[in-house]
Amino acid sequence: MKNRSLALICTLLLLLSLTGCRKGTDGSMTIAEQYGLAYAPVQVMRVLGLIEKRVPDAQVNWDQVGNTAAIREAMIAGHVDIGFGAIPPFLIGYEHGMSWRISSGVSQAPVGLITTDSEINTIADLGSKDTIALPQPGSIQHMLLSMEAQKLLGTADALDSNILTMSHPDGYQALISNSITAHFTSPPYIFREQGLAGARMILSGEEAFGAPFTFIVGYATEEFHEKEPELYEAFTSALQEAIDLITEDPTEAAALLADVYELEPSVIEAYLREEGMIFSSEILGMEHFGSFMYEQGYLEDIPVARELLVWE
Amino acid sequence: MNKRPRRTIEHVLWIASFLLLWELIVSTGFVSELILPSLLDILRALVDDLVGGTLLLRIGVSLALVFGGMILGTLFALILSIVSYLFPLLASGVEVLTSIAHPLPGIALLPLVILWFGTGTLSIFFIVIHAVLWPMVINFNAGFSSVNRTFLDIGRNYEYGRWGLIIHVLIPSSWSYMVAGLRIAWARSWRAVISAEMVFGVIGLYGGLGWYIFNKRVFMDTSGMYAGLLVLIIIGLVIEDILFKRIERRVKHSNGGAQ
Repeated sequence: MKNRSLALICTLLLLLSLTGCRKGTDGSMTIAEQYGLAYAPVQVMRVLGLIEKRVPDAQVNWDQVGNTAAIREAMIAGHVDIGFGAIPPFLIGYEHGMSWRISSGVSQAPVGLITTDSEINTIADLGSKDTIALPQPGSIQHMLLSMEAQKLLGTADALDSNILTMSHPDGYQALISNSITAHFTSPPYIFREQGLAGARMILSGEEAFGAPFTFIVGYATEEFHEKEPELYEAFTSALQEAIDLITEDPTEAAALLADVYELEPSVIEAYLREEGMIFSSEILGMEHFGSFMYEQGYLEDIPVARELLVWE
Repeated sequence: MNKRPRRTIEHVLWIASFLLLWELIVSTGFVSELILPSLLDILRALVDDLVGGTLLLRIGVSLALVFGGMILGTLFALILSIVSYLFPLLASGVEVLTSIAHPLPGIALLPLVILWFGTGTLSIFFIVIHAVLWPMVINFNAGFSSVNRTFLDIGRNYEYGRWGLIIHVLIPSSWSYMVAGLRIAWARSWRAVISAEMVFGVIGLYGGLGWYIFNKRVFMDTSGMYAGLLVLIIIGLVIEDILFKRIERRVKHSNGGAQ
């Protein structure tokens, strides 16, 4: 009996210790893959094998992860080394003690609030019955909406009770079927929605923010950055090559991406050439996001200096 | 009689050792606090939100949805069951409908429900009714058909009409079936509400417990997430092990001889 309970306790301990198990240095890396046009350099990097080109024996795994919260969790669990997303969810993770930093900017992109309701011209026209779909609270879309709410309505959380969380494709469907009033979305949905009859953009991300800002950045865990310097280096330079390729030759990039997005190359190319689609490793707007989120209580402390948030 | 207190002591000891193990693992520092926060942090998160009132509001919203849905769903089920008792032709229709709808998890219907009712509380309410209605129909039908013929004959001797028989004989003798149905309905609808709220919910006033946990997740408040789970466990225990057990005991006493 005693032996049995001892065995039971040991098994439990073993199981629990496994959850904290992290990958060692074995020349492999796992990147969380995301769809959406703003992630185009990530897809180009994957399709062309740009990391493998630099480190031929590297084993690069691509994981499909649903949203930023899931990417964070996968990175905490040690299953993912590199992820992509917006600055606000990164800052939330950093504040809660995640050992990760931004490695590079990926893109700026037109984001905005689209409505099909002809009566609504600014967010001040939204009533208590109106609903706004966006990916999740704490997302960049939520922060941009809060910034505008603070400017126009006096309080940042004025519209929080109007928000519904929906993925971009669900939000698109909901806008078409008129079951929501407005959708805060990003490319390519923002382009498609603006093409709908009666649909208009009543707020752009840049208006809300007051300046251009980086929409998607890439983040890497400290563990990966420390233990796999060669792979990390290969990743950043591969990402830069992909960014350059899309900027210099959108036609070729579109041809590469056609299979990934299951769209005609001409459509992708038109999207890539849209005004406001800028692929760049620059990181813009981090300080402003940080101070706004701190002032509004989304972060408890003002974020630390940029040098501590970005790898070298 | 001797066994019960012993079991209770055993249960308490088990819970205590789980908690102890938890704290031990946390204190080793092997597991990140973002995965396994200390019990004190979880308790603090729980108390903070309870005192602040947000958590009570969330619990209230979820329970109101479930209980509202259970009352309405039971009523619909009763109507369907009475109708099928009175009209055998309709009975087969209800039977077909039930066997189609019963196995469908509410959460799988959600995308469709959004198309019908839009997003928000009404859609979640619909999912709850769906979760309640079909098990209740099945149990009412089982209850009605299990009624002893002798009771029906006695009822007829009292010169009850169709309705009289339903009200004075059928329904009272199906109490235990109804309670069993409610138990299933509770389990299904409670799970449905929490998961529906996690798929989409409203920030602010009308979000329930599922929304609470989801919100803790996106803002990376791991202790808060565990606090939400703790509340789920407590509510589940209170309702399933205390409330339903009491009701069942009562029903057994009141019509123990009826079947």
